[in-house]
Amino acid sequence: MFKSKLKKARGIEELKSRYGLMFILPWIIGLIIFFFVPIIQSIIYAFCSVVVTSDGVKATWVGFENFVEILKRDPNYTKWLGESIGNFAYSLPIILVLSLILAIMLNQNFRGRVFFRALYFLPVIIATGKVMGFVFSTTDENLTEMGVSAGMASGMIKVSDLTSALNMGTEIATFISDAINNIFNLVWSCGIQIVLFLAGLQSIPATLYEASRVEGATKWEEFWFITFPMLSRITLLVGIFTMVELFINERAPMIEQVYGKMRGGQYDVPSAMIWFYFIAACAIMGIIILAFYKFVMKRYEA
Amino acid sequence: MKNPIKNISEADRLKALRYVKIGTGIGYSLIRYALLISIGFLILYPLLYMIVTSFMSPTAFNNSTRVWIPTDFAIKDNYSKAIEAMGYFKSFLNTIKLEVVSALLEVVSCAVIGYGFARFNFKGKNIFTGILFLTILVPDMMVLIPRMVNYANLDFLYIGKGLETAITWIGSLFGADWSSVGKVLTPNIVNTGWTLWLPSLFGVGLRSGVLIYIYIQFFSGLPRELEEAAWVDGAGPVKTFLKIAVPSSSVVFITVLVFSLIWHWNDSLLSGMYLTSNLPLASGLGTVVPYMVQKWGIYLQASTPQGASIVMASCLLFITPMLIFYMFIQRGFIESIDRVGITG
Repeated sequence: MFKSKLKKARGIEELKSRYGLMFILPWIIGLIIFFFVPIIQSIIYAFCSVVVTSDGVKATWVGFENFVEILKRDPNYTKWLGESIGNFAYSLPIILVLSLILAIMLNQNFRGRVFFRALYFLPVIIATGKVMGFVFSTTDENLTEMGVSAGMASGMIKVSDLTSALNMGTEIATFISDAINNIFNLVWSCGIQIVLFLAGLQSIPATLYEASRVEGATKWEEFWFITFPMLSRITLLVGIFTMVELFINERAPMIEQVYGKMRGGQYDVPSAMIWFYFIAACAIMGIIILAFYKFVMKRYEA
Repeated sequence: MKNPIKNISEADRLKALRYVKIGTGIGYSLIRYALLISIGFLILYPLLYMIVTSFMSPTAFNNSTRVWIPTDFAIKDNYSKAIEAMGYFKSFLNTIKLEVVSALLEVVSCAVIGYGFARFNFKGKNIFTGILFLTILVPDMMVLIPRMVNYANLDFLYIGKGLETAITWIGSLFGADWSSVGKVLTPNIVNTGWTLWLPSLFGVGLRSGVLIYIYIQFFSGLPRELEEAAWVDGAGPVKTFLKIAVPSSSVVFITVLVFSLIWHWNDSLLSGMYLTSNLPLASGLGTVVPYMVQKWGIYLQASTPQGASIVMASCLLFITPMLIFYMFIQRGFIESIDRVGITG
């Protein structure tokens, strides 16, 4: 009797396993067709010279020629790469810290909380590449003229006047106007991060705070000994999301350039570009995640 | 020397402490409001700027004395030009047909997949979870071109081509030309909705990985008891999913729907690549500048200030439907996010 029960149990397990596969079957098909096949094709294109004909594409093997082209001969590529990484390096910490601070504030009880929450979630809705590009593009000179910097000039302070009055070099002046544009950019990139942090804050049991209050902990200690450790997992999640977003966002300098080239009908060199970029990005993300895991997660979870 | 604090009675000391506490409380809330308002201003500023600019007439734009309130309005002119340049009403319908449908398909397919991941143990689950994260990491740009090439004659894995060749060959055995029959199997679906619908249907559409992850987190947190009871009562997995899991998951459906809808509405990468006519709004936005240059000779330059007004008007027209949608779902959305448990 015992034996038959065991057999039945295993039968159910197997059945469940089969049902599970049944549920994700569409995804597996989709993965193969729309993910793995294109990715392999994209690797092939990166090593080929691709010509588009009416009958499809003709790819001839050229080895590492495309990579040599972008890294050695094309001076722009390394520039874009540097720009992307630089942009990433200062955006990530600012976005994380800013959204955490804002989430903590929005999580407290105060008058007008509903209004502020609605306001701070707005960027989630309208943070569109195109709209953002029109409003504060720094890459297109005409747009910069017409965009927010011009609005800033008439509405707040005239940046160029200020910089020329202070006798600053053009480089510093552009840096400052870039920084001002980037303030908008950064605040506008915090939307989903704030949402996620808020959800994380809400999942921290209130009893922890009550206990700490009884013990006489200050707010500062509360943050470092309760909030931050309890948020370490969600911080990792938000961090990964932000990193991916910063790297593959359609307004990332590299993505913008590659997309332009692809729409122009060039397939081979852009594929090499995006692959090299992706590998570099993955390496950077991997290092950051490992470091976070080692120095933050381990400490709290051990 | 005597410590002056020691002269104060206990009651006074407590009173003073209370004042200090109230003081820091007020100070803290002042700082909070200052920060929230100033950063909130940074969020509102571009919006206000867009609204104001879109209302302005060219003379008002060049008027250096105006700060916020335009001296001269040209609302009707700016907006009618923006609507014409975007092909607004047609693009709007296209957006519904392409992006909204695609988003809905994605919401459904990702739910099924997420449920499969969360509720069942199957062979290779860890590997598949790893692949799921890989799909989140890999930028769309990488698969954009190959997908486009394969869409041109629906031919992934050379299945379509193979069938086509086989049918043509069989036809030739009978001495008939069946190549046209074979061609039916490899239709060109570039510039049709299928380019967006198909990936969504299979759960590999626009940021599907993130959505599946949200579903997994939610379904894993759902109590198993009800479903187990249904199992015992002999309901199959599909019935359990539809009758028990889905009805208790409205929260996660709202969250995922909002995200998917927003991302689809705002996406111009995919639609810009696969579609050449019947563009949705996000891509239509890109045609505004070329259109107004060609039709009215208005450039996006300081010499033709109406350009900025038209562009800002079209941006506003583009975001308005989402803003209205947001106003309606805002409360429920924020609550849903709290309850979905993305945090894991």
